[in-house]
Amino acid sequence: MDAVFSGLASGFAVALDPFNLFLVLAGCFAGTLIGALPGIGPINGVAILLPIAYGLGFKPESAIILLAGIYYGAEYGGRISSILLNVPGDAGAVMTTLDGNPMARNGEAGKALSLSAVASFIGGTFSVILMSFFGPALASYAITFSPSDYVALMVFAFASLASLVGSNPVKTLLAAVIGLMLASIGIDANTGVARFTFGIPDILAGIDFLVVVIGLFGMAELIHLVEQQAAGTLKTLKIDKSFVTMKDLAFVKWTILRGSIIGFFIGILPGTGASVASAVAYGTEKRAARDASRFGEGDMRGLAAPEAANNASAGGAMVPMLTLGIPGSGTTAILLGALLLFNVTPGPLMFSQRPEIAWGLIASMYIGNIALLIINLPLVGLFARMLTIPQQFLTPLIAVLAFVGVYSVVSNPHDLYMITALGVFGWFLRKLQFSLAPVILGFVLGGLFEDNLRRALSISAGDWTILVSSFNSIALYLMAFLVVVVPIALSRRRRRLDEAESPKAPA
Amino acid sequence: MADRIFAGVLLLVAIGYTIIAFTLIHAPFQYDPLGPESWPRILGLVAIPCILYVLVRPDVESLGLPARSLGRLAALVAMLLVYAFLFQPLGFVIATFAFCMALSMMLGSRLVPALAFSLGIGLFGYLLCTRLLDLNLPAGILTFLR
Repeated sequence: MDAVFSGLASGFAVALDPFNLFLVLAGCFAGTLIGALPGIGPINGVAILLPIAYGLGFKPESAIILLAGIYYGAEYGGRISSILLNVPGDAGAVMTTLDGNPMARNGEAGKALSLSAVASFIGGTFSVILMSFFGPALASYAITFSPSDYVALMVFAFASLASLVGSNPVKTLLAAVIGLMLASIGIDANTGVARFTFGIPDILAGIDFLVVVIGLFGMAELIHLVEQQAAGTLKTLKIDKSFVTMKDLAFVKWTILRGSIIGFFIGILPGTGASVASAVAYGTEKRAARDASRFGEGDMRGLAAPEAANNASAGGAMVPMLTLGIPGSGTTAILLGALLLFNVTPGPLMFSQRPEIAWGLIASMYIGNIALLIINLPLVGLFARMLTIPQQFLTPLIAVLAFVGVYSVVSNPHDLYMITALGVFGWFLRKLQFSLAPVILGFVLGGLFEDNLRRALSISAGDWTILVSSFNSIALYLMAFLVVVVPIALSRRRRRLDEAESPKAPA
Repeated sequence: MADRIFAGVLLLVAIGYTIIAFTLIHAPFQYDPLGPESWPRILGLVAIPCILYVLVRPDVESLGLPARSLGRLAALVAMLLVYAFLFQPLGFVIATFAFCMALSMMLGSRLVPALAFSLGIGLFGYLLCTRLLDLNLPAGILTFLR
């Protein structure tokens, strides 16, 4: 417990450094602006701005504080386009549109925006507090993990990914394997053997992480935006004078608390981020409500629950990223890759070896949440202006930012073709209902997965039974099994119940 | 159908990947029990059954794209490739100006706003990135900017 408070104290010393404080505020502000743009969510925002943040030459803790600020700033901003425009910025904001947009149409836009800001703030802060205690505890446990335990942990991560993300588990698994395959291109670090390079010198060192991220999340998004452009069909609702009252907050206080808890713990699960968290929170709230008839027509609970949950999941997703080096969501996979670019390897040792990064990031999230609440309540009108930026200018701007980002870091024109090709590939994946987050998770974890597998088998001199010889790994395989089987069993049971009930129900 | 075509292409790539992993990749002598070839072999052997599953049970019928948007997307990709091709030789300012003009006009902007926007992004973007943020961008033929 003392370690947590002394860690937090040192973290606040980092985060309150004037320059870092400026970056927190700048990141939150920029993140909200980006999140408010229709169709652009946290993952695209972080992806497009990552190379620029890297190219600026900051210290690792400053850069990660900036990127994290953009991340949860965009989680806040996403609700603005969801509520006023009925266009969610990403999958995590879809649930916000269900009741948020009807509230705005009923003339309660101001109330919907302020209520969701407060719910986001509570969800975010709640999860940062939990994170300050969970993180170090998990890290001190994970220090004992052997390479074979890490292999089991990866298997668990990919199992929960396949089972919980996307509509088709096989496609999600395939997407992750595509990411792993992309990561295997280049010279093998252990033996110096070139793999799948076909003698092309530009990919000898492997495909650059920045190129993959920009391609799959920047360029694919760009192509998607152009595809969607049915120019001028979107209508922005006006913000009115209504505002959230104490009575409203009292009405939704348990909703927000439940949403925060659900969001945090779903965020911790590897690979499952805001989209799963907000969907589960919304579903739980609807089922728990005594009178659920107004859900979908502007019920405050239906707005507060997913908003609290998606911000809480942003904090939850940071926990495995910081303590195990396994990202909890697509966006944290990008943050993890960013840390690797700075030669910082996240993992159980980070809390003791690089406390300025781990604790500095956590402390910056406390500050960022407060800052976001403050800038979001009065300035919401300014952010809502972002919705009126003409698409024909926004779209080229995204392409230019992507090109600037890649070129300024890698300075190799070959990579500009590469991001375009990956963008087309990512767009196809998206059109065919593969989710893209597993690809990036696979890409980031590929090296780590292979290294640990090979290290484990080196230790055992080639004996595969080492993979199932410790308590930790057996427990993790068991959890992997459960996370795949339980949802299937639950949906079977629900279907059977439905069938049993349906004959009785009047037609 | 769209699913099947995509999965078919993926299958060919995955088979090629797996064949390379089983035949071409090997270390001159053994450093560790697995060597550089085992991991790609495992990946290939996981990927192929997944792709076969998608081939047998596809769930996306078509891309649902009218011919007109398909044309626009093809134009977009062509513009991006030309932009990538010209980026270094012509320099950021001119290549960006041309790209922004072309794309914003295609997306239905009027001439004067598009000109103002493209010039602004090209010039101010360059000065902002190189002078203020210290990022590396090509000056190209406008050598006086260097």
